[in-house]
Amino acid sequence: MTKQLRVDWPSCKGRGLCHEILPEAIQLDEWGYPLVVSDIDEDTIGLAREAVKVCPTLALRMVDARR
Amino acid sequence: MSHTTTRRTPTVEVRPSENYGPLQVHPGPRLLDGISHGPSLAAHRAISGPLPDLDLAGMLGLLEDVNIRGRGGAGFPFTIKLEAAAGAKGRATVVVNASEGEPASMKDAAVALTKPHLILDGAVLTARVLGAKEIHLVLPGEHPAVRRSLTEAVAERERDGTDGRIKWRTHTADQRFVAGQARAVIELMAGRENLPVTSWGPEAHKGYKNRPTLLSNAETYTQVAALAALGGEGYRALGTEDEPGTCLLTVNGDGHRPQVIEVPHGTAWSDVLTDRVLDRPVLVGGYHGTWAAPSGLRDVPVSRSRMTDLGLALGAGVVLPLEPGDCPLHRTARVTAYLAGQSARRCGPCLNGLPALYDAVWAVHRGQDGSERIEQLGALLARRGACAHPDGTLRLVQSMMTAFGEEIALHADGHCSYVERASSHTNRSGDLTGATR
Repeated sequence: MTKQLRVDWPSCKGRGLCHEILPEAIQLDEWGYPLVVSDIDEDTIGLAREAVKVCPTLALRMVDARR
Repeated sequence: MSHTTTRRTPTVEVRPSENYGPLQVHPGPRLLDGISHGPSLAAHRAISGPLPDLDLAGMLGLLEDVNIRGRGGAGFPFTIKLEAAAGAKGRATVVVNASEGEPASMKDAAVALTKPHLILDGAVLTARVLGAKEIHLVLPGEHPAVRRSLTEAVAERERDGTDGRIKWRTHTADQRFVAGQARAVIELMAGRENLPVTSWGPEAHKGYKNRPTLLSNAETYTQVAALAALGGEGYRALGTEDEPGTCLLTVNGDGHRPQVIEVPHGTAWSDVLTDRVLDRPVLVGGYHGTWAAPSGLRDVPVSRSRMTDLGLALGAGVVLPLEPGDCPLHRTARVTAYLAGQSARRCGPCLNGLPALYDAVWAVHRGQDGSERIEQLGALLARRGACAHPDGTLRLVQSMMTAFGEEIALHADGHCSYVERASSHTNRSGDLTGATR
């Protein structure tokens, strides 16, 4: 099943580590908060797991893609 | 037939709180029937009869015939919640959300003050079909009289012993726009801060204490009680084929006192509002709602689906006509400022994006081009928060752009067709107050 990154918004403090690890799927908005721009596929799943792991506020999760 | 001019039966005046002032509640065809007889259990039983005996299959059967949509604003089908809660593992909890987040909505307060037992009947029926032992009532922090009325109604039922072994629990929500949001309510019940948190799945599956939780708005439970008492056919006697039954509306700002009325779905707005009001811009659906342009409601029925087709939101049934001498762009800026101030300030996009959205609306009011910025902020606000507060605020602003294209062009030329030029440029700090006026 396709995976998707979801942000736990109240936890996210906009540190931007997820963007550094996976810029092709996570951009930053004008205030420095993550903008998830694409789903996760076989090529990016390793880095996506890494991004989830390094988030200092544990605000990123990988979930099954909706719809 | 307009509610502000002729009525056969006298209205009931209630006071949800000292600082709100009197609220006119009009007797209605169903939920608000018999309100002049007072809120007692005896009066209620005389009008509604005894609680019907229903099991899960029976209630689902009724709901198959009559699709009841949630009345908190989002219109989510009650059946889906009920089926999910019934099918999930663990003992279910029933939650009645009587804390209206929309500060302009008074319908739940009106029912709680005039027919509290109708709300409680719906909750008890739901708890019984789910095998729930506890019903939680979430009461509005800003309306002490509503809290008293529901608390007294619960005490009456406990003395009476009608509800068997069901335990009632009450909580008081904070006085904050987002406090009534579903996840914020579950946080409150769990003893944490009454603020929205991220929902990783439906609360009907995993809500309070990670158990199945059926959480619905107070009016929704009155609809469930009405359906159980009347049966499918009886319930369908009012309303339309697609949207059977009635709905409650709060009308505030038509030059009269705030009022709550009950109308069958499909009723023409021109039968609900006066010509004077229909000629003006009307904010429908509350602060998270949409603007209807002047005369925009004239040929439209009170219908969630028909209004959605036209880009209008029925929401929780709040109707706010623009007051004479006010400008819709200025009013939108004031409401946006209020909503930005109501952010829980925990989600980055809401914390940063709502003040930016206010700046853009203010720019439009001042005659500058804000449309591009509003579009840009739309992409940064939509579905980027624990709750739909940014989405609702965005909806309001986008509807202003749609409904008042000509007025926006006039402002760009330094004019306003609503307010005399001399008084249109009040100072900026003055606009941050008065949004809830």
